[in-house]
Amino acid sequence: MNNNIKFIIDHLSKSFEKKEVLKDIDFTFEKGKIYGLLGRNGAGKTTLFNCLNRDLKADSGDFFFEENGQRREVKADDIGYVLSTPTVPEFLTGREFLKFFIDINEKSITDKKSIDEYFDYMSISPADRDKLLKDYSHGMKNKMQMLVNIIAKPNILLLDEPLTSLDVVVAEEMKQLLRNLKQECIIIFSTHILDLALDLCDEIVLLSHGELELVEKVSLDNKDFKDKIIEALREDGNE
Amino acid sequence: MNKTLKISFALKNTYRVNSILYALKQMLILKKILPSALYGVKGLKIFANILSVIWEFLSAFLGKLLYIFCIYGVIFFGYDGYSNKSELFLHMLLFLTVIGAFLNTNLFNPTKEKYYAVFLMRMDAKQYVLINYGYAILKVIIGFLPFMFLMRPLLNVPLWLSIVLPFSIAGLKLFVAASSLWDYEKRGFAYNENKLGKFLWAFVALMIILSGGLPAVGIAIPQIASTTLFILFVPLGIVGALKVIRFNEYKAVFQDLFSQTQPFADRKTQALRKQSEKHISTDTSITSSRRGFEYLNELFIKRHKDILWSASKMITYVCIVLTVGVIIASYLFPEIKETTNHLILNWLPYFVFIMYLINRGTGFTQALFVNCDHSLLTYPFYKQPGMILKLFAIRLREIMKINALPALVIGVGLALLLFVTGGTDNPLNYAVIIVSILCMSAFFSVHYLTIYYLMQPYNAATEIKNGMYQVVKIATYFVCYYMIRVRMSTIIFGTLTIVFCILYCIIACILVYRLAPKTFRLRQ
Repeated sequence: MNNNIKFIIDHLSKSFEKKEVLKDIDFTFEKGKIYGLLGRNGAGKTTLFNCLNRDLKADSGDFFFEENGQRREVKADDIGYVLSTPTVPEFLTGREFLKFFIDINEKSITDKKSIDEYFDYMSISPADRDKLLKDYSHGMKNKMQMLVNIIAKPNILLLDEPLTSLDVVVAEEMKQLLRNLKQECIIIFSTHILDLALDLCDEIVLLSHGELELVEKVSLDNKDFKDKIIEALREDGNE
Repeated sequence: MNKTLKISFALKNTYRVNSILYALKQMLILKKILPSALYGVKGLKIFANILSVIWEFLSAFLGKLLYIFCIYGVIFFGYDGYSNKSELFLHMLLFLTVIGAFLNTNLFNPTKEKYYAVFLMRMDAKQYVLINYGYAILKVIIGFLPFMFLMRPLLNVPLWLSIVLPFSIAGLKLFVAASSLWDYEKRGFAYNENKLGKFLWAFVALMIILSGGLPAVGIAIPQIASTTLFILFVPLGIVGALKVIRFNEYKAVFQDLFSQTQPFADRKTQALRKQSEKHISTDTSITSSRRGFEYLNELFIKRHKDILWSASKMITYVCIVLTVGVIIASYLFPEIKETTNHLILNWLPYFVFIMYLINRGTGFTQALFVNCDHSLLTYPFYKQPGMILKLFAIRLREIMKINALPALVIGVGLALLLFVTGGTDNPLNYAVIIVSILCMSAFFSVHYLTIYYLMQPYNAATEIKNGMYQVVKIATYFVCYYMIRVRMSTIIFGTLTIVFCILYCIIACILVYRLAPKTFRLRQ
């Protein structure tokens, strides 16, 4: 993947009846960084993700990649989208799901590994690999979902509250995985947990008043930075 | 107590008013006009409140009126040979009262209102029951009184009995409820009127047979016996009422009741998913040597063989048995040959409705969504236009296979029947019958898969969120139903069907290829 890639959201708007959830959003995301997307409940984080994933049609505006100054449309396989509640095809085994995914994405997967290597990479034990996904635990389903989303190396990875309900070991494994991945794609990570965002993310972006706003850390220490974020979010809630 | 009364009625009313407003909002035309904040609009609220009061009134009286009228209708028109109408009336009322006491308890019906009041709003369960159940019993008595009184002269029931009857009906309800409470104390298991066991179902079936069947053979319980029983129900009711009042563990009863059922939509969809998960075969020998989407499809079909194929196979067996039965019958009773032959040559349109009834389109698409697309549609790779269309073609082939099995048997069966009942002057009829029935089955396969792909109606919680999809489904039903009335010679109707189905399939597939990449998404 090109190193100078940027993901640009250009005047994106979305309303539900009279409520303007996304107001003319303009923002540029750069590769090599994990962006922590913070917002109050109902601020529109999931709406933003759904628009970017084209599950929801935006009212106006666009989003695209910019590679070496050249604009390029976003294709479906450019995006990986990991939901907080993992959804996996319950009737397949973990191995079958991976085989199916690799089969149909053969052309777009660079440096293909064996299925077991992928399982090893995600720390899924050999005993679980041939079980039906319906019998997987929540954490294992989450790992499978994440794995399928990163095998094809999408240019942008959207993560909607992905670590909230995982046990500490899996959560730590996933955090490490994301840190390793960030050199290869743009990661936008939505969360409610401020400490997690501060620990994992390189940039903090607030979604407030329907707009995206980067919170500059500059010379603030962690506590002041935290206060600044909370203050900004509080203002949004008082509207 | 007074407060409980007020709160529980306000809660019930709010719930009903909001349900009315929600229903209004779901209507196609009103959807755009009504604001999303409609639950706070005063005018609308007053309107819904009026509807709610009317509903309360109707539920108290209209239901009872219909009930009495139905019995009356059956007595005077169904058993017009039976002269002692009052005896017959009491006979039927007696058995129906017994059924009602078990199936319509109010107390053991796990409704949402109960859940909201007792668990979410933490109202005192006993007070809630005494108020609401008391009100329900009162509604039974007051609802029945005027109609029993009015119908008295027609049925020749003595005045005193017409006044006692409403109390008897309520009395037996109370007694059955109390018995269930005793049973709960003994076994710790709450009776649920929506989940009857085998024995109770058998008992209800027996009661229905006795209520209608005995008079059919000229037997009814003597009036003196039924009257005595009705009178007996009153003191039993008092015993029951005392138990209901003294019982203190309503909260535990409700807890058990709600653990048996799923009162909410999201829980229902969860239950649907759990249910469909159960259908996934755990047979470890199931594998596939194919690749890509063919691999996914083969595993899906093999692991869901139960839900996908069993109904189709069952229908096929029934069709084989019916065909063989009619063939044998036509040899045993040659006089039916001519009529059968005539029917086959003129009643082909009827088979549109039959094919509609037996096609597995909705079952297939629901299984596809709940067990496969529901999860895979959240992955961007699955939504690439090329992928969607590739899978559409594979699935079309599968649903056509499932529907074609019974269609082939019906088509060949009809052609065979035509042959053994005297044949036809135009041998083309045989081919037209077989091909047109197969075309109908292909039509339904394409139709349901197309509307699924073009209107993908489900959201992530597997609820249907597309009004248009429902409209198309209902319209399909009406068109097919209308076909029952069409009379046309088989050769003409069959040929028209073949042409229509082929054209429809071509157009539908073009539409899917053009539009599905945009429409085949999870509903938000």
